[in-house]
Amino acid sequence: MALIELRHLTKTFRGKMQTVEALRDINLSIHQGEIYGIIGMSGAGKSTLVRCINFLEKPTGGQVIIDGKDLATLTPKALRALRQDVSMIFQHFNLLQQRDVRGNIAFAMEIAGMKKADIERRVDEMLEIVGLTDRQHNYPSQLSGGQQQRVAIARALSTNPKIILCDEATSALDPQTTTSILNLLREINQKMGITIVIITHEMSVVESVCTHVAIVDNGDLVENGTVEQVFSQPKSEAARKLIFRKAGADAGVMGDRMIRIVFEGNASSEPIIAGLVMECHVAVNIMYADTRDVGGKAFGQMILQLPEDHLQQEKAIYYLQNKNLRVEEVNGHAH
Amino acid sequence: MPIEKMVPLMIDGIRDTMYMTVVSTFFAYLLGLPLAIALVLTSPKGLAPRPLIYRVMDAVVNIFRSIPFLILMILVIPLTRLIAGKAYGSTATIVPLVIAAAPYVARMIESSLLEVDPGVIEAAQSMGASIPQIVFKVIIPEAKTSLIVGATISSGTILGYSAMSGAIGGGGLGQIAISYGYNRYQTDVLLVTVILLVILMQLIQVVGMTISRKTDKRVRE
Ligand SMILES: Nc1ncnc2c1ncn2[C@@H]1O[C@H](COP(=O)(O)OP(=O)(O)OP(=O)(O)O)[C@@H](O)[C@H]1O
Ligand SMILES: [Mg+2]
Repeated sequence: MALIELRHLTKTFRGKMQTVEALRDINLSIHQGEIYGIIGMSGAGKSTLVRCINFLEKPTGGQVIIDGKDLATLTPKALRALRQDVSMIFQHFNLLQQRDVRGNIAFAMEIAGMKKADIERRVDEMLEIVGLTDRQHNYPSQLSGGQQQRVAIARALSTNPKIILCDEATSALDPQTTTSILNLLREINQKMGITIVIITHEMSVVESVCTHVAIVDNGDLVENGTVEQVFSQPKSEAARKLIFRKAGADAGVMGDRMIRIVFEGNASSEPIIAGLVMECHVAVNIMYADTRDVGGKAFGQMILQLPEDHLQQEKAIYYLQNKNLRVEEVNGHAH
Repeated sequence: MPIEKMVPLMIDGIRDTMYMTVVSTFFAYLLGLPLAIALVLTSPKGLAPRPLIYRVMDAVVNIFRSIPFLILMILVIPLTRLIAGKAYGSTATIVPLVIAAAPYVARMIESSLLEVDPGVIEAAQSMGASIPQIVFKVIIPEAKTSLIVGATISSGTILGYSAMSGAIGGGGLGQIAISYGYNRYQTDVLLVTVILLVILMQLIQVVGMTISRKTDKRVRE
């Protein structure tokens, strides 16, 4: 059984003026050890979804089952105990401003009722892990955003959780700091086997750390699977939008005769385009290229504009397919 | 008034005024703090919404806040007699002072507590904190600076009320100002009491603000 099971989860906000169906019939299983990305446009319902996982938000329908426990059936006390297994980190860090770094890390353990001596020892360990030992007596206002998020991660980690939920944990940080925070999360996942759920609106975050991804669009979970699956064969319009938005595929880029080729595994180390030009004498226009390492495997995509000549077009597609690349036409529908 | 008489009179006055202010502030906080916590928790957006209880407490606070202090003093004379044994003097004045100040203090504390970043409260909830843990480990410590500022303003207001109480038999500097300055036309006494009241007020202000600034960890050092 999955560590986190969402079954027919719905959440409707009923206001005086309007009702918002923030989530509709969400079904999702997240297994132990996965780093699960949940991505979607602003207002899609991502935050609502992650807040339902620890019942900060009570769903209006369906079930949330964590480690075999249906959260709706728990007493308030049991729910609080369960929350010690499900830590959360936030976009704006949410540290106690009147406590120093040590105090903030100790906080979660005080809540959990640990003994003072044990807390002190564990704080030292956590400081070591997040690399803030020299800053332990600073207050949050004296730290950079990245350092504050490290404190939040240390605090989240201190109670030995099974799951860490991150709601836009890197959205307030610059790219470099984002990378270092994501690396820290990956390390935590690999060394301690902690399952991580990452909410984001940035494709690059999913690409760089996630093993799995779910795409939420306007309250619906439209697609999910491994990052490789979803990125290389996006089935839904929303997924294509997110992937192509990243591909800089705004109005200008999407002309006629466009194809998208997807690299998986070792294919991206071959000089495909050079081959296309030299072996087939087909001149292509590279409209967009983005290849990178995902989970140790080369992975990426490229958008090419083919020549007008039909024969040349077919030659190019044939060549690319022979190289075991998937080729998709992107005319019209992907923007 | 000759100086040898003025000095002991003023020393007594200061002592009585300080006594009324400090004791009244203490009891006003004793009543106001739980009331403020209850208001914050039971409000529709609070951690334990109880709309009915909230509305009742909210109305009671508003009613007491809207009664002018001098009128309140007269209204509660029977209660004052019951508690203090008499209706005049410094100790007796503490009763109406506390009754007038507690709702004021409650509002003051309420607004400080509401200033606490909801994100931090949510973080505590996500860790499984109970409501008492959230109140005593998050809300109050995080609101500390604002609470100290509030206490400074509140004790200043209570000092002002205590002076006003001199008009109908309260003790302290207010009474000295009324009985010598107003009833017996001793302008010098009136002037000195006013100066002393201004100095006391300043003192409270400076001490309170210094403490709040010194204990605030949000400013970069
Ligand atoms: N407490 C609430 N009351 C009413 N509506 C709400 C509430 N919280 C969220 N919503 C609505 O639910 C929808 C989903 O909101 P949510 O915050 O989950 O989106 P999101 O995907 O996290 O967006 P963003 O990327 O901007 O953070 C939005 O339409 C939002 O207005
Ligand atoms: Mg959000």
